[in-house]
Amino acid sequence: MSIARMKKLSVIGLVSDRDELMEKLMAMGVVEIRDQEAKLDDDQWKEMVTRDEDDNTVSAYDSRIAKVNQALDTIAKYGLGKKPLLHTKKLISLKDFRKALEEESRIEDKIALINSLSARHAEISNAINKAETLKLSIEPWRELELPLEEQGTKTTDLILGILPVDTDVDQFKTALEEKTLSATELVHSDANQHYLYVLCMKDQRNEVDDVFRDFGFSKVQFIDMTGTVKENISTLEKKEEELAEEKGKVEDSIRSHEVDQQELELLYDKLIILRDKAAIRQSLLITNNVFYLDGWLPARAEEKVSSLLTDMGCYFEMEEPAKDEETPVLLLNSSLSMPFEAITKLYALPSSKALDATPFFALSYAVFFGMMLGDAAYGIIMMVVTGLILKKYKLEGMKYQMIKLFFYCGISTTFWGAMFGGWFGDLVTVVAKTFFNADVSIPPIWFDPLQDPMKLLLFCFLLGGIHIFIGMGLNAWLSIKDGRPLDALFDVGFWYLLLIGVTLLVVGVAPGVTKWMAILGAVGILLTAGRNKKGIGKIIGGLGSLYGITGYLSDVLSYSRLLALGLASGVIACVVNTMGSFGGSGIKGVLVMTFAFVVGHTYNFAINGLGSFVHSCRLQYVEFFGKFYESGGEAFQPFGENTKYVNIIREEN
Amino acid sequence: MNVVLENLLFNGVFLAMAGAAVAALAGIGSAIGIGIAGQAAAGVISEDPKKFGQALVLQALPGTQGIYGLLIAFLIMTKIELLSGNPIDITMAQGAYIFAAAIPIGLVGIFSGIAQGKSSAASIMLISKRPEELAKGMVFPAMVETYAVLALLISFLMLNGVSV
Repeated sequence: MSIARMKKLSVIGLVSDRDELMEKLMAMGVVEIRDQEAKLDDDQWKEMVTRDEDDNTVSAYDSRIAKVNQALDTIAKYGLGKKPLLHTKKLISLKDFRKALEEESRIEDKIALINSLSARHAEISNAINKAETLKLSIEPWRELELPLEEQGTKTTDLILGILPVDTDVDQFKTALEEKTLSATELVHSDANQHYLYVLCMKDQRNEVDDVFRDFGFSKVQFIDMTGTVKENISTLEKKEEELAEEKGKVEDSIRSHEVDQQELELLYDKLIILRDKAAIRQSLLITNNVFYLDGWLPARAEEKVSSLLTDMGCYFEMEEPAKDEETPVLLLNSSLSMPFEAITKLYALPSSKALDATPFFALSYAVFFGMMLGDAAYGIIMMVVTGLILKKYKLEGMKYQMIKLFFYCGISTTFWGAMFGGWFGDLVTVVAKTFFNADVSIPPIWFDPLQDPMKLLLFCFLLGGIHIFIGMGLNAWLSIKDGRPLDALFDVGFWYLLLIGVTLLVVGVAPGVTKWMAILGAVGILLTAGRNKKGIGKIIGGLGSLYGITGYLSDVLSYSRLLALGLASGVIACVVNTMGSFGGSGIKGVLVMTFAFVVGHTYNFAINGLGSFVHSCRLQYVEFFGKFYESGGEAFQPFGENTKYVNIIREEN
Repeated sequence: MNVVLENLLFNGVFLAMAGAAVAALAGIGSAIGIGIAGQAAAGVISEDPKKFGQALVLQALPGTQGIYGLLIAFLIMTKIELLSGNPIDITMAQGAYIFAAAIPIGLVGIFSGIAQGKSSAASIMLISKRPEELAKGMVFPAMVETYAVLALLISFLMLNGVSV
């Protein structure tokens, strides 16, 4: 079984030992501590205990974490340091970790400084935007020679304003001049409006305003601005320049803190640990002197945790979960099938009482992927790239599993590519023909699918049949394990008989025996499939179930995608090579070939790699998981050091 | 005049080339499908630019129909040695067979590409709310693609059966 067996743990200890115990449990990271909401609603418990809480400490840590995070984001945004391709945690010994954080307040000062720089940066950006908007708004008035604060003289008014673009300025002018003594000047026109100023007599304002209304003239005022527009624009430009310069300086000084990044990361992780330690207390129940906690731990960690709890002088119990109790799910697989856990997790974790599918599909996943990509050169590239990543970076969790998964898929791709003779498609043949006029080719180890596609199609169906039968077999095994051997016989055994019988009958192997196999299977299904229904449902259920044979047919046909996608990547590779050969044999030919090779094969690899991944998943999820898999488990989340940047190593003693 | 036209249209090489053209039409489906998915993707990116990679993966899924069409078109062209610039002189019947072989992928490619695009767009919406469910989001469009794969297979096997 590859789901770890869990044990239920309940602990009672002295409040005075609580913090030390929590610290040690956290370092161990193998116990999931459950929330005690249910017990607090229970009358018996409610009388004795209260929830242990420390909200103030948690929120204090949270706000400090937010500050560190902001500072780190700021550094990441303006820093020039190279960001690694993959984020990995650094290893650090507990001693170094403590030492690096001795001057915590000094680091926090730096953080405050970085954050104030970042705030200043935002202020400057704001000010630049504001200046730019203002500049744009006065830009159309650039030709206005009068100072903006000018309102007119003792007897005249100076009015700035705009007219809609479809208004005739001349008409407006004439209308004004007919009725009043005034001067109108057009300053500027753009796609939206006319900008103009009107000089009129103060005592004729009413008449002027009437004309304004008729033409839809709206007044524009520049409050708090003095001097001509040109002066204003140049002042604004100067201000913008200064601000930009300051912005650059602020960015430089943020950058000068890049060296502190590591300290900040350490502090971040330390605060996270302290926060989690404070936060876990709300899952504890306390009285005046003792605390209570319960949770789950994997059975294999039993000894380690027992000895810790004994040392701490706690009273504890470890029990097997009740028969129907859901436990958290932790997948445990051999190192070979472990990477394929990623595929299981992408679907959904198995229910704690069900079966982890990972070890049963690991091999077929790699095989399917390899057949669909089916090019030895692509496979080698995959192996080299993922191998280098695995060597260079110390990855964890899902990332590690995915990279390792692609490493295995690369092996499989190389294998199938060699079997079918695909090395960048037919690159060798094309290059030899184009440049050296020679007939060279790498012969396939098995056969060329383009020459005999039917053979490969049947092989795909065979693989599919085996794959489906494994799935059904697992279903039968689950039934037997559950104490229902008859269900296994009725739901799987008869189908085996029928499907094997029909297949062999079609192929023509021993028709006498296989005919009766098929008939026996069909009759069995007919009689038993409706056994849980009542009355006439018994018969209809049997018939309906027998009709399900079409489902098995379409399941098997679905594996034809192995051939089709394999052909797709193989033929597209050939198309790329053929296009590359169009350049002839000279220098030009080499250039064309190189270009086609790099662009074409990259594209083919990317799109067919994606296709192979998706369709391998589909074959597992739909055809295989559908037969037996029961999902719905909750992931095991042990209370531990949830750090982001470093892993703390403790010397074993 | 009529005879000239007849010679042109009912000519083996022409029919085979028309077949290659029909197969390549599968690209219509991919283009529309990727377009639909792209619209959804751009919407999601406007909210959260970090999802670009995931959205791009989902947008690429309806692209395969075009590739399958290209594949069959290429195989037809190789079969009649069109790329050498000197096509084999095949009979009208052979040309018609090849034409028929191209129809499944051409036709199914168009419609499945569009349908897959819609399903991809829906999956892109899915990852905008639950980015951790990318794998499931990829499986839904892959369900549609099954039928393009089957059409490709039929086209391929039919074409493979025609001897020239």
